[in-house]
This record gives sequence, structure tokens and C-alpha cells, in this order.
Amino acid sequence: MGGEEIDMTIFKGISTAKLGIVEGEALVTTDLVAFWGGTNWETGEIVEIGHEARGKNVAGKILVFPRGKGGAGDTFGYYYLFKSGKSPKAMVCNRGMGQTVAGALLGNTPMVYGFEEDVVALIQTGDILRIDTDKGEVEIVKRSE
Amino acid sequence: MLTGKEGRGVQKAMEIIVGMGEAQGAKELVKISYAHLMPPDVMFMPFGKQGRWAHDLTGELTRDIKQLKVPTTIEPKFCDLSVAKDLQFADDTIEEIRTIQGKATDFYENLGVVPTYTAMPYYHYRARKGQHVSISESIATLWFNTMLGARCERDDGVKSLAAAITGYVPKEGVHLDENRAGEVVIHPGADIDFGHFTDGDWDAYSLAASRKCKDKLPVFTGIPLTIGQTDLKHLHAVIAVESGLALMHLVGITPEAPTLEAALCGRKPLAEFTIEKKDLDEAYDLANTATGTDVDFILLGCPHLTIREFRDLTEVLDGNKIDPNVTLVASTSRLLFEQAADMGYIDVIQKAGGSVATEMCIAFAGTQATGTIATNSIKAVFFYAGFTSDGSRMVRFGSTTDCVRSAISGKWEGRK
Repeated sequence: MGGEEIDMTIFKGISTAKLGIVEGEALVTTDLVAFWGGTNWETGEIVEIGHEARGKNVAGKILVFPRGKGGAGDTFGYYYLFKSGKSPKAMVCNRGMGQTVAGALLGNTPMVYGFEEDVVALIQTGDILRIDTDKGEVEIVKRSE
Repeated sequence: MLTGKEGRGVQKAMEIIVGMGEAQGAKELVKISYAHLMPPDVMFMPFGKQGRWAHDLTGELTRDIKQLKVPTTIEPKFCDLSVAKDLQFADDTIEEIRTIQGKATDFYENLGVVPTYTAMPYYHYRARKGQHVSISESIATLWFNTMLGARCERDDGVKSLAAAITGYVPKEGVHLDENRAGEVVIHPGADIDFGHFTDGDWDAYSLAASRKCKDKLPVFTGIPLTIGQTDLKHLHAVIAVESGLALMHLVGITPEAPTLEAALCGRKPLAEFTIEKKDLDEAYDLANTATGTDVDFILLGCPHLTIREFRDLTEVLDGNKIDPNVTLVASTSRLLFEQAADMGYIDVIQKAGGSVATEMCIAFAGTQATGTIATNSIKAVFFYAGFTSDGSRMVRFGSTTDCVRSAISGKWEGRK
């Protein structure tokens, strides 16, 4: 504990599919996320009442959240979001929920989850992330100002 | 199956099961004995552009499938067309639904799917403790794991269909012993009186619990042994959506929780929470997005109304008339409809001016109605409030009795 900063910018998890490397801006929420009913699949906006990220838009972002929730049809919500061109660029979760994983596969979205660290607490909205889906790695390449 | 010996459809289904297994970090597959389907073209707004996407999505997977490998039941249809006009669907949309939904249900019935059309398939098929199954319905997944001790992950509509076609799922998540231990404990506070709970209070308790436990597997203490099927439905339905959980434990009630220690598998809980009356009040506030007394629709039956809810409903409704400015639709399964009809309940509702729909998902079909909707289900609130362009559809939530009293007076009679 000598005050030296430990490099905590690379997190290792499970990748749902090998889809190469993507880079993008993080949108972080500490609340669980639902796509069917919780997010407007035509616009990408989180609409759930009482949700911490209500009003934020997931389209094109790297969505960082603890885990998915919602009904079992959440996968189709994600699929419709993808078909509307409003899906996130990638998803990073502390825990993988079956219906979120299936949505990522159907929507061809890179997804990495199951880290030792609580990544939701360590990544901030606006951070630039690089996701290596072949290695299952998430790297913070630039901190938000 | 992967080599294509059983045809391209089976091969594609096996590719999906293996792909999901890899995505979920599974080391092997496990044989299932039952599946419950949620096809998008039956249930997920089968009209417009999304209706075509849904149809294409499952069409590709089912093209040359002639049979399923395990007994299989199915989710509700999107809409019972006999109440579609009451729910404000336009004529051309109704025709579109008739075509897409009708084609899909014909297809699954020809495959030998038991036409249960309900989110409560545990009325039709009861798995045994330790049995692996694949279910695509949040409350049913939670119920089979929790109440029956069966093993089932949060499977989606594509995976459960692929599971029914192949007879396998990846062995991951709560299929494995090590992922079935409770993580957090939920205690009732000193001011919680289960003896006087309405069905609405169980929904509120479930929402309050899910806001505390979030994604951590909860163990509930203090739930009375006398809790019945209807209150258990309310307790399961909300947390299944709000926490995305596949499993919970109720100490002294569910098969893997004879004691708190057993439910935690001897481990220390990560956290312990107490739910007090103020948490229930907060849950009611969250679920009531409307202010004032306006009520335009009373939509009941998410998940499907039970016999006790029909009893509560008709006790208030018997001999009264529903306000002419209010539309009441009660939704249930065909099995429970027949029973409720035998008991005279359906007659009472119809004579009072209400409609009873069967085999439909009132949480989804109700999302096209405009105005203030009152419901006895926080699960339905989640969808009614969510499916508006600005997330501001007005919703009222209360007990079944609150909702029916409001139907008669034409004003919201529940908690303000």
C-alpha cells in the first residue's frame, strides 16, 4: 500500500462470440437493464420508470451494466432494437443473463461478462473502451474528462 | 445432430444450443425432459415490421422440423382477437395479427405442442426436483426452479425452441449445484403483517425485495407456510422481471430451503435486508405512475387470473355494473376459464359488462390502449409504462379488489 497506482484498466471475462475488436464510448449504469419494456426498441432510449439511466440512449454505445433483467422475451426486445439499428456497439456486464447473452448473439453484438472485478464500479460513463472479443478482454484506453 | 443426419432444421437447432453453451461457458450439454416455448411470432407484437422480423426469425429455424423431442407447452398468444377492439387495435392490425399469430399457432400445434397458451405452465406440467427443463417465460422459470426444485436457466424463445427440437440445453447456471446457493437474505420487518396482505401487497413486497437483492439470489425468511398459489404467483411474477432471477428460496416452503442454512448451502450471506412497510409504500408509489382519479381500462390477468382472483373479482362485481366509460378485460388460460365458468364467475363478469379473454398476454396486448390503465400486476405495469414513446403511459396499480371497485365507480379507488 505504498500509494502507487495499480493498473486496473484491463478486465478479463467471458466473450459470447469471437467478433474481433471494437472500440467505443462507455454508458455505465448501476441498475439492471431490460430491453423489452425497459428500453424503447425503436429509438434506443432507456424508458423504465425509476431506472438510474432513464432518458439515456444505448444506441452505438458500449453499454456497461451489472446484469440483464426483464421478461423471458427480453431477447426479442434486443433483436428488435438491433433490427431498428439502435443496438449498443457492445455490452459489458458483471454477470451474464441468459436472455441478454442470446440477444447479443442474435444481434451480432460483442458481449463480455463474468469478471472478477465489479466493472460497473470501475468503468465510468464517457470512458473509451476497447473490447477484444477473441480474448474476452475489456480495456479502458482513455478515461473520461 | 450437428452433422445434419436429422435434417437442416435439427442441425441448426443444435448449432444454437452449442453456440449458447459456448457463450455461457458451459462444458457439456444435459438432456431435458420438458420445454416451454415463447415464439416471437405468437407473442411479440405479431404485426407491422416487427411481426415480419419475428416471423422470419423462427421461420428459418423451424423450416423442416416435423417433431419435437420432449413434451412441450407454449406461452400465451399476443391477443385474443375477441377483445382486440376493446384494446383499441385498428381493423387492419387485427387482420395482420390474425394472419401472423394464426400461422404460428397452427404450426406449433401441428408439431404436437400442448396448446396451453399460458405463462403458468406449472398448472399443466409439473417437473420433479433435479429434473432439467428448458423454459422461456420468466415467472415459469422462477417457479420451476424455486417451487419444484427443477433446473432451468433464463432461456429465451430461440433457445427453448432449439432445446425442444434437440432435447438438450447447455449445462450452466442453475443447472449446476454450485449456482443454486442463496446469496442474500430478505427478512420481513416488524411492521409487515402477512396475515392481512392483499394480492397487491405481495406484488409490492416482491418489487421491494428485487430492489434490494438486485441480481443476487435471495433467500426469503418468514413467508407464512399458509401462502397459497395466487399469492405465490404475485411474489414470483414481479421479482422474475425486476431482478432477472432464475431461482430464489423461501425458507420452510421450497424444496431446497428446509432451513436458512440449507438455502445458503452453509455459506455466509453477502448481505441481509429487511423489508418494512415504508418499502412497500415506495413500491406502490413506483408502480402508480398516474395521479388523479381517472381510469379508462382495468386490465387483469398478468400472469393469468387464478380461481381465487376470479372469486375476489366477482365478490365485488356481483350485482353491480361496470362504469360505461371503463373497459374491463380479465385474462386467463382456457383451463382456468372453464373452471371459472363452472363456478359461475365468468357469467358475473359478463353480466356486469366486462370481458373475459383467454390464452392471451394482456401485458403485451394492453400496450396499444391509450389512457389510464389500472392493473393488479406490477409485472404488467413494467410493460404498460415501458411501451410508450416517452415512457409516460399513465398506470394505476392496486389489489384485484381495488381494481374492480374502480371499474364500478369509474374512479381510482386504490392507494393514491
